[in-house]
Amino acid sequence: MRINVIRKCSRRPLQSLSYSTRVQHREIIAAKNPSINAFVNVSQPPRDIPQDLPLSGLTVAVKDNIATSFLPTTCSSTMLKDFVSPFDATVVKILQRNGADIIGKTNCDEFGMGSLNIHSVHGPVKNPFNASKEGTTKDERAAGGSSGGSAAAVAAGMCDAALGTDTGGSVRLPASYCGVIGFKPSYGLVSRWGVVSYADSLDTVGLFANDIPTIQRVFDQIAVYDGLDPTSAPVEIREKAYSHSMERLTSQKTETSILEGLKIGIPQEYFPSEMASSIVEPIRKIIQALKSRGAEIVPVSLPSTSYALSSYYVLASAEASSNLARYDGIQYGKYVEPGPGVDLSKTAQVYAQTRTANFGQEVKKRILLGTYALSADAFGNYFLQAQRIRQLVKDDFNAVFSIPNYFTDMPGSVKDGVDVLIHPSAIRTAPRLAESEDEKSSLDSYVQDVLTVPASLAGLAALSVPVVETTNKEGAQALPIGVSVVGQWGTDDLVLSVGRAVAAIQPLV
Amino acid sequence: MFLRPLAVHRTKHRLFHDLRTYKEDPRWPGWQVIIGIETHAQIKSRRKLFSDSFTSTPDDTPNTNVSAFDAAFPGTLPKTNSKAVDLALRTSLALRCKINARSSFDRKHYFYSDLTSGYQITQQYSPLARDGELSLHSLDSPITVRIKQIQLEQDTAKSTFDSRGSRSQIDLNRAGTGLMEIVSEPDMRSPEEAGAYVRALQSILRAMGSSDGNMEQGSLRCDVNVSVNRKGDPPGTRCEIKNLNSVRFMMAAISKMSCLQTFSLKLINQPAHEIKRQKEFLISNPGSSVPQETRGFNEDTFETFRLRSKEDAPDYRYMPDPNLGTLALSQSRIDEIRNNMPPLPWELRSKILDKYPSLKDKEQSLDVLLNVDNGREVGFDGEDGAGAVEYFERLCQAPKRDPIVILNWMTHELLGQLAARKQSFYQNSLTSEQLGELVDLLQDKIITGTSGKYLLRHMLDNPSSKSPKEIAAELQLVAIASSSGTSKASDAGSSPSSELEILCKAAISELPSEVAAFRAGNKNVLNKILGHVMKKSRGRANAKEVRHIVEKLALGDNHNGDL
Repeated sequence: MRINVIRKCSRRPLQSLSYSTRVQHREIIAAKNPSINAFVNVSQPPRDIPQDLPLSGLTVAVKDNIATSFLPTTCSSTMLKDFVSPFDATVVKILQRNGADIIGKTNCDEFGMGSLNIHSVHGPVKNPFNASKEGTTKDERAAGGSSGGSAAAVAAGMCDAALGTDTGGSVRLPASYCGVIGFKPSYGLVSRWGVVSYADSLDTVGLFANDIPTIQRVFDQIAVYDGLDPTSAPVEIREKAYSHSMERLTSQKTETSILEGLKIGIPQEYFPSEMASSIVEPIRKIIQALKSRGAEIVPVSLPSTSYALSSYYVLASAEASSNLARYDGIQYGKYVEPGPGVDLSKTAQVYAQTRTANFGQEVKKRILLGTYALSADAFGNYFLQAQRIRQLVKDDFNAVFSIPNYFTDMPGSVKDGVDVLIHPSAIRTAPRLAESEDEKSSLDSYVQDVLTVPASLAGLAALSVPVVETTNKEGAQALPIGVSVVGQWGTDDLVLSVGRAVAAIQPLV
Repeated sequence: MFLRPLAVHRTKHRLFHDLRTYKEDPRWPGWQVIIGIETHAQIKSRRKLFSDSFTSTPDDTPNTNVSAFDAAFPGTLPKTNSKAVDLALRTSLALRCKINARSSFDRKHYFYSDLTSGYQITQQYSPLARDGELSLHSLDSPITVRIKQIQLEQDTAKSTFDSRGSRSQIDLNRAGTGLMEIVSEPDMRSPEEAGAYVRALQSILRAMGSSDGNMEQGSLRCDVNVSVNRKGDPPGTRCEIKNLNSVRFMMAAISKMSCLQTFSLKLINQPAHEIKRQKEFLISNPGSSVPQETRGFNEDTFETFRLRSKEDAPDYRYMPDPNLGTLALSQSRIDEIRNNMPPLPWELRSKILDKYPSLKDKEQSLDVLLNVDNGREVGFDGEDGAGAVEYFERLCQAPKRDPIVILNWMTHELLGQLAARKQSFYQNSLTSEQLGELVDLLQDKIITGTSGKYLLRHMLDNPSSKSPKEIAAELQLVAIASSSGTSKASDAGSSPSSELEILCKAAISELPSEVAAFRAGNKNVLNKILGHVMKKSRGRANAKEVRHIVEKLALGDNHNGDL
């Protein structure tokens, strides 16, 4: 935290509305961040930003695993504690070019691995919903992870929007826990150049904001082809999927109610036994409300869902073990001198010192898991098997959507399917930080991703919208929950439009 | 460049189907040597395989051609260089491989300081091309070696160990340069065949412009697998020799390996006391090299990369690269490459013979020309560097010249003079226009052969854009014509016919005893008189004409009144 910078800036005279917004956000950060721990570095307010650019006046926070040349990129890891990238990520460049003020870098789970944002060298992020100023109290909640800092920053009003990354739910889960909008665009729409790889085949740059128009405003700028990203979707495919989804949107719906005639699928597998009852009821109300406004509700089945979580953890860990190999104390990371007892005739011992000291517990766990999955003996049973399941999950989705998946070699034909899917974003509300400490070492925390992982495996557009209840049974303000809108690959604008409608029918009565 | 567990070797050997019939080798009678070769050829693309940075030569300052991706900066991603892929495709087609329409990239993991990302991107599961062949014409009994596969992969950085400072130095210039790994089937049976294979491969790589193929500079590296078995037995345990940097050394290493293996296998088959005797011999001869080299068969100590990670099981944890995915090649792209391929060395030969049939009697000179052409500087990204054949063809074309004369002048005079100057053909300063005019001057008898050679030497020593005609005039090399000769050199000012005859007359008067002897019938002495005239003319005189004039003058035709 660069508090001194913020103080200095806040004394400067207000020159324009956007200038004042920028300073206001920095003042809010200065006031609230000590208790929330959302930001790990804050930038100096830019002096002159042209007023007529698409993102002029917008303050955007960036997750600390996205490279910036003007602030460190630590990935919340001891390994990269002092690392400053020589270049800016493509998304950061686009934001700046379009007038956005990159207000700072946000806390996250180490290298994006975690569901609660408790695995961070900067300490855990506290959910703004119940954050207290004096130390950790019994009722303090986790923000969710891994993009917990970005979600909390938006929830606490520290910025207008925030970038996160979503590999298996790392945007949607914290959005749900913090009560903000979290959007994971379709894989390949937003450039990953400059995003520190956790699992390349799943990593997606996502967005947080308090309303859909802000999400749309930023998304429209960053969703462009980038030659630096080999997985960036070619323009022709983007346009095909876009025009197809717009056709669905305009053929039968009026401007005022896009819900009229919209076919919404409810996947039966997305209400597992682990789901808290406090989640089911509000989601049911949302579905009812959508139906009463003209949407056609169709129960659908995605039978491979129950295997998705296992598949995800094998694939993501395998890719992580590969991507994190460069942090060895020789190429990257602080070199840890081998102690006197270390057998130096073995090269591996030299690397082991640095990697043992500089990686956190969760990262080490996943590297070990992934290394095993790729070993000659396990490859067939784990990695290849997980890949097969991933294909089954994709097939499941392709079988229910009315629009084919244009991001595959052989997009299917148009059929009588649903336009979007709707399901709860998470199986529960934000856990208490105190109890999450106990979960650090257990695999139970992985279950939180069970509802978000399938869309990641299939590379689909997925949006979590907060569900706002007027009151709950106790009469107190209920913990935030989220409802997810999932659409076929490339139908991001359709998903955002449906999300806007879902937000508009709230608060629920 | 991958090592399988020993068990896999054995399984593979059991399935081994030998296409070659056994042929006795006097060096190891009763034994068969089986050789397979893996070559790594650096792709001669301007840029690296997955980044925009330039490829380097060994002379470049270390760590100057390095991008963020080459240094494995967090957040960087690969981008396939299609020009490097095209060069590998050219090579695959030249080696008659089947192109894989959908190949893929995989990561091979190991920790080493010259591997920045902790993995090398290669093509483990689905290589670029498969099932090719290479015919070795240069052997006394030509054979065909099957090519198992060709795959693309990244080169590593270069580490040099500074023993004085006791530290490793890493040069990232090489990191990420494209390599073609070309794997042969174990189809070779002697060091000579292995040598012929590598030489043929080098000539194909150069002809395709896909690699310099230079073993000394490391742009071509060979790993040789050798196994030895008794006649009729299945192949023995495979041993690998790595990082050989010349064809000659490779052949020597194979011979040595073969001898050692037969020796050690014989040992195993000896009665127990014989082994004991050998053991005692070795113990009592500590300075002997035998134990050292026998230990070299131990796979644990022989393979270079095992030094790298001996303690870890060599499990490279291959994983499909999640960024690059499938390398899809359309038929039209493959066709386009096929249609625009430079000719192979032997194709070029027959093409030239078709075009210039008169060269059939000049095959030796033609082979010299083709060899020089094959050794030409390879251009980047397959751009054709001007070679000797192109130079030759330009000379032959306009104006039309006699290909035999051109070939003689190129191979004997030009290449000879370049060789004397320790210059390669690439360094030749003489343009084809200049050499063409020089040959024309000769053909038109404006200068003599001797003057022509002198003029060539002069022009190589003093490169300029002047025409040979100008220079010949400056140097006063224009031939002295006889009275009856063509008067093309009339611009020399004086009357050339009289000049030659004056020289001859002078010789006759300066050498009276020789002339007398000649008149008396001693024909041999004529050469001395001719030599005298030639010397006086400084090579400008035509020997035939001089002979004619001297004979006329000496043998009494000197009553001719017009003199």
